Amino acid sequence: MALADIPIQAMDGGLTGNGRALLIEVADRLARFAAGGEAHVIDLSGLPLSEADRDWLRRELGEGEVHVRLAAAGESILHETAYSGVWWVEHRNEQGRRMSEFIEITRVPELLLAHPDDVILGSERLNHRIFELD
Amino acid sequence: MPESERNPLIERMAGEGISRRAFMKYCATLASLMALPAGAGRAMAEALTRAARPSVIWLSFQECTGCTEAITRSHSPTLESLILETISLDYHHTLQAASGEAAEHAREEAMKQHFGKYLVVVDGSVPMKDGGVYSTIAGISNHDMLMDTVKGAAAVIAVGTCATYGGLPKARPNPTGAVAISDLVRDKPIVNIPGCPPIPVVMTGVIAHYLTFGRLPELDRLLRPRAFYGETIHDRCYRRPFYDQGKFAKTFDDAGARRGWCLFELGCKGPVTYNACASVKWNDATSWPVESGHGCIGCSEPDFWDAGGFYRALSLPADPLKGMAAAAAAGVVVGAVVSVANRARKAEVRAGHETATLADLDK
Amino acid sequence: MNELEFLTWVRGPGMNIAVSIFVLGVLWRLFEIYSLGRKADLAPGRERAGASGWHTIGRRMLPPPGMVKRSPVSYIGGYVFHIGLFLIVFFFAPHIKLVEDIVGLSWPALPSPVIDAVTMITLAAMVAVLIDRINHPVKRFLSGFEDWFTWTVTFLPVLTGYLAVKHLGLPYTTLLSLHILSVEILLIVLPFTKLFHAFTTFGSRWYTGKIHGHRGVPV
Repeated sequence: MALADIPIQAMDGGLTGNGRALLIEVADRLARFAAGGEAHVIDLSGLPLSEADRDWLRRELGEGEVHVRLAAAGESILHETAYSGVWWVEHRNEQGRRMSEFIEITRVPELLLAHPDDVILGSERLNHRIFELD
Repeated sequence: MPESERNPLIERMAGEGISRRAFMKYCATLASLMALPAGAGRAMAEALTRAARPSVIWLSFQECTGCTEAITRSHSPTLESLILETISLDYHHTLQAASGEAAEHAREEAMKQHFGKYLVVVDGSVPMKDGGVYSTIAGISNHDMLMDTVKGAAAVIAVGTCATYGGLPKARPNPTGAVAISDLVRDKPIVNIPGCPPIPVVMTGVIAHYLTFGRLPELDRLLRPRAFYGETIHDRCYRRPFYDQGKFAKTFDDAGARRGWCLFELGCKGPVTYNACASVKWNDATSWPVESGHGCIGCSEPDFWDAGGFYRALSLPADPLKGMAAAAAAGVVVGAVVSVANRARKAEVRAGHETATLADLDK
Repeated sequence: MNELEFLTWVRGPGMNIAVSIFVLGVLWRLFEIYSLGRKADLAPGRERAGASGWHTIGRRMLPPPGMVKRSPVSYIGGYVFHIGLFLIVFFFAPHIKLVEDIVGLSWPALPSPVIDAVTMITLAAMVAVLIDRINHPVKRFLSGFEDWFTWTVTFLPVLTGYLAVKHLGLPYTTLLSLHILSVEILLIVLPFTKLFHAFTTFGSRWYTGKIHGHRGVPV
């Protein structure tokens, strides 16, 4: 019987208050980043967050202008929140199950950047393709 | 870009349809599972794609090959076996192309070339009885091969319950005299990854940790990585509310079982088993034994094969009690004998009874 | 020996030894006591209504008049922990499972949270009774090694059982082993100490009532 089918009242269906605590941490890290400090990643999997806390935090941070669907070994969804510099990153596997989730405080998540080696390879391939077309 | 600067691992993965981003995503999840700091995923991805591929020698002794199957046949086979791509697997019975003398030669060459730096992974227990004849490779007993191979090892990773605790071969009456790897290897860093088999991502996580940070993760008293073996199944079981309320399934597929009630009465050993099945789960987090309706059998604990029936609850004797009839009979016999002695004593006292007289009081 | 090996031992050989000695001891002592018999009472019977063995068992369930006021802790505490022990041992699901395994009988269990509350009350009552025994000069004077020892071997199973279910203190495997071990110790000493009153009380009261009933006196 799958977890979703069991008709129990989940004990942690409510808010624990940890969502708000995390929001304060995000604000603190964002302030530091804004002042020229380092980017930061918060791993949501290891924290005592109930599902309700997670949903609350996600709603609270909201959505911004950028919404990225990354197709790599299953779907990953990266979206900028309503606060510039705060990104919500959710990794799913090929079955659509959530594998890990992060909040990144950065200009853009590193995963989105094209790797220099890949750029060089891409350049070679493109030149090769043009050669083929001629 | 010159050939030597291309990253062979990335190219190999691209050839199998795994993009760099997929690999980075995998490393981020792996680091998260091991409760490493959030930036460790990136460090892991970079470390694992380094040009230098550390040599790994995989020794298979008295085992069923289940551990190798688990690590290579997880649902996304390419991601799990990616770890096998980041290392130079110089010796592995099931996976290597070479055989016979050539294979043994490859092992010896790897040991010589990378002395002091190679990793030794072991699955299966080592038989010690009768000079270790019960499991030999190329005429060499497991014991001799193990002690010889670990001489230049940087670390030893014992994979599976057989290698970590002796496992199935060690079960009563242990006809081959099987022992665990940690019983034999005393002077090298060693980590135990028990389970029958272990959860694939646990195996890869430990290897990835070693390759990234150059040392083994934090271990508990039984040398298991705390990140995965720090809690019992019971601690993280989603059926815990039912245990706390006393709602137990009585038989398989009864009304309680269908409602997902606790499997304590069906023999679940979750409370005494340390593993990550309840949180990490199996087959890419698809499910795990309790979620599928079967109690935990405690497969990552020492001597779980001898810990009594799998379907006997923890509150029951490990196996049905023996000798109760004999004890009852003995009790009745002893009681009868003592009664006879008591009656004899009573008769004796009565016979020897003397009436007290005034004269006695003066004494 | 690691934790699981210890648990397997107490669930295996340990259990066999303890239950065997218990069965042997109980049958021995019962046989020994009842085979003593009674002298035939040759006086003519003067049976009266309300004077019999069963009546005595019933009457002795209640404290004698005035005694609760004189020794409240003994009586109230005593009742509470006896009833508590009975409920915990016979109405907690894992225990019923154990009885079912050994003799084949089973019955519905009480909800685990109820047993939880009963356990806390039982522990408190046992501690109260102990403190009373220590503080009251006459009780302390009358108490010997056997009294302290039997209190301890009865208290430990309840305490370790509670800690195990709550996962408090030590790792669960060790707590469960200690609980089963403490029960095994209790089983071994029960037939040979005053704890044997568990088997003799009702028989003794019945005989007392019967004998006096024959004389026409309700006791």
